[in-house]
Amino acid sequence: MGTDSAIAIDVRHLTVSYQSRPALLDVTVAVERDQLVGVIGPNGAGKSTFIKAVLGFVKPDLGTVAINGQPAQKAKGQVAYVPQRGAVDWDFPITVREVALMGRYQQIPWYRNPGHRDRQAALEALEMVRMQDFADRQIGELSGGQQQRVFLARALSQGSDILLLDEPFAGVDAATERAILDVLERAKKSGKTLVVVHHDLSTAAEYFDKLILIKQRLYAYGRPGEVLREDLLSRVYEGRLRIFSDIVHREERP
Amino acid sequence: MMELVLAPLRETYFQKALIGGSVVALVSGVVGCLVVLRRMAFLGDALSHAMIAGVAGGYLVMKLLFGLEAHAPGMLLGSLIAAVATVALISFVARISRVKEDAAIGIMYTGIFALGVVAVSVFRQYIHIDLMHFIMGDILGITDADLWVSGTVACVVLTVLILFFRYFQIATFDPIMAASIGLPVLLLDYLLTTCVSLVVVSAVSMVGVILVVGLLITPAATAYLLSDRLDKMMVLAGLFGVTSVIGGLYVCVWLDSAGGGAIIVFCTLQFLAVWTLAPKYGLLSRWLRLRRLVPQQHIEDILTTILRSRAAVPREAIATYVEIKPKEMTRALRYMLQEGLLAQEGAGFALSPAGEAEANKVLRAHRLWETYLARIGTPREELHATAHQLEHLSQDAAEYLHEQLGELRDDPHGRKIPEMAAQQEPPAG
Repeated sequence: MGTDSAIAIDVRHLTVSYQSRPALLDVTVAVERDQLVGVIGPNGAGKSTFIKAVLGFVKPDLGTVAINGQPAQKAKGQVAYVPQRGAVDWDFPITVREVALMGRYQQIPWYRNPGHRDRQAALEALEMVRMQDFADRQIGELSGGQQQRVFLARALSQGSDILLLDEPFAGVDAATERAILDVLERAKKSGKTLVVVHHDLSTAAEYFDKLILIKQRLYAYGRPGEVLREDLLSRVYEGRLRIFSDIVHREERP
Repeated sequence: MMELVLAPLRETYFQKALIGGSVVALVSGVVGCLVVLRRMAFLGDALSHAMIAGVAGGYLVMKLLFGLEAHAPGMLLGSLIAAVATVALISFVARISRVKEDAAIGIMYTGIFALGVVAVSVFRQYIHIDLMHFIMGDILGITDADLWVSGTVACVVLTVLILFFRYFQIATFDPIMAASIGLPVLLLDYLLTTCVSLVVVSAVSMVGVILVVGLLITPAATAYLLSDRLDKMMVLAGLFGVTSVIGGLYVCVWLDSAGGGAIIVFCTLQFLAVWTLAPKYGLLSRWLRLRRLVPQQHIEDILTTILRSRAAVPREAIATYVEIKPKEMTRALRYMLQEGLLAQEGAGFALSPAGEAEANKVLRAHRLWETYLARIGTPREELHATAHQLEHLSQDAAEYLHEQLGELRDDPHGRKIPEMAAQQEPPAG
């Protein structure tokens, strides 16, 4: 939007603190378009602060976050957010179709009802994640993977180029993980930039094009081979290195 | 009989109570849906209790400054201010001190309620407020001023809720997404709190401070058991609110009981009835579902029994091996026929191809368990019984054993262990 650059999310010298404790310290990273990017780091590393900053929720002490060349706080809605499964009330009286339609709310003025085009867009998004047959189910009746896909559909119907996913693979089984990854790949092919907070280092190399390794400050950003290096991981994860030797080696294979 | 229904309708006090009560109950049911879904039930309580301080304050200010006696708009404004102040105090205490929110609510609403009580009694020569009226409400003594207040409140609140329905929906369901598309989430919170305060203020004169929460929460919760969409839930909640008032008022007239009490009793009974009978989230349907559920173990036992005999087996023969109640047997067999695991052959039951595959899986697990149990030194006579229990564990357990035991062909009794069936594709999702 208004920029021809290949950078979707441009973070410069971002420093955010809560009281005197820095949550993020001098983070500079430029995420290119059409990538599937994983954000990794130990608990309390500032991953959620990073998300909030990209969504434009936090006021940085220093530095800027630009979404498609615009300051994040003014770029509301250009980043579509997919919440963690635990953050959603699954008993809420809402159907799959309505959740997908929610993605359109920003475009609909407050005095108008959702129109035919909005409904169509929501349905198309559901088709993209292959959930159209479940459109009239209440969201609590779905399996974990299906629920995750419905929220992906909502993000897709928002029409944003950038999708932000908070731990989409948490608490789902291997087959479901595959199904979700498949949808992410297809979203990427249709021209989306996806930023995914991820916990499982053992799959990080396989799933993502690029990785962001943070712990307050940015330790690395690049291809998985460049990020999952023993020296980096040992500094970020401190004493718990041994379990990673396996990942590091696998990555070094051609 | 007809007269019993019609007679009260000719009385002005009853007409007023009916109209005023219905309007208030309708709007509190609708707004109550958001209160229930946001888990703010306690807030309704806090607001209603805070009101008395507000009313006393409003009364006092209007009287001392303008010399107006029992000025209704003044008292309304006073109670609104008190309500909003209570909410602000609660969230302030919960955020800043180590005291958690539920305790903060308890402290603040009793504190402000008590302040109101003290004020009313200290200034009793200036303020003419009947505390009892406040606490219990008086729906049959409803005045025209009350009717106007509740009518105006209902119009304002319903208009706000209908106009901004989508925003309230999204801010309740997913506040982070709401904020991410630029909605003023905090402002919506305040707007909703104001709406709830307005409704509570107009409802207190009818059912009283203590019961007002019931009018706010119960119809909404009743509707929650019946609907999977917020708009339907709101319509139903409004309806349940109105039926509570109608039902409650008749109970009140017939039994000559307290009005507010009768309404809430009726409302609660209505909830209990719906909870029992609701088609999806009701007790009865839950019980029926559980009853219809055929335990996997019964199915697996029947399958292996038929597999072992290699022919169609009559029901009586199955029953000698599978020891379950005749009723359970009927249910299990009917279910398995429906699911295509079994086929009726003459007087007996035979396995369908799907049933045979399933049965082989269980048999394989059984024999793997026997082999494993024999290897860890389980006495031979206990092998079968123990394996019979363990064979119902998941398929993964059997595959683990298979790996542990090496590529085995025969179990300890010298019988062949069935091969693993071709891996089925995992279901989507």
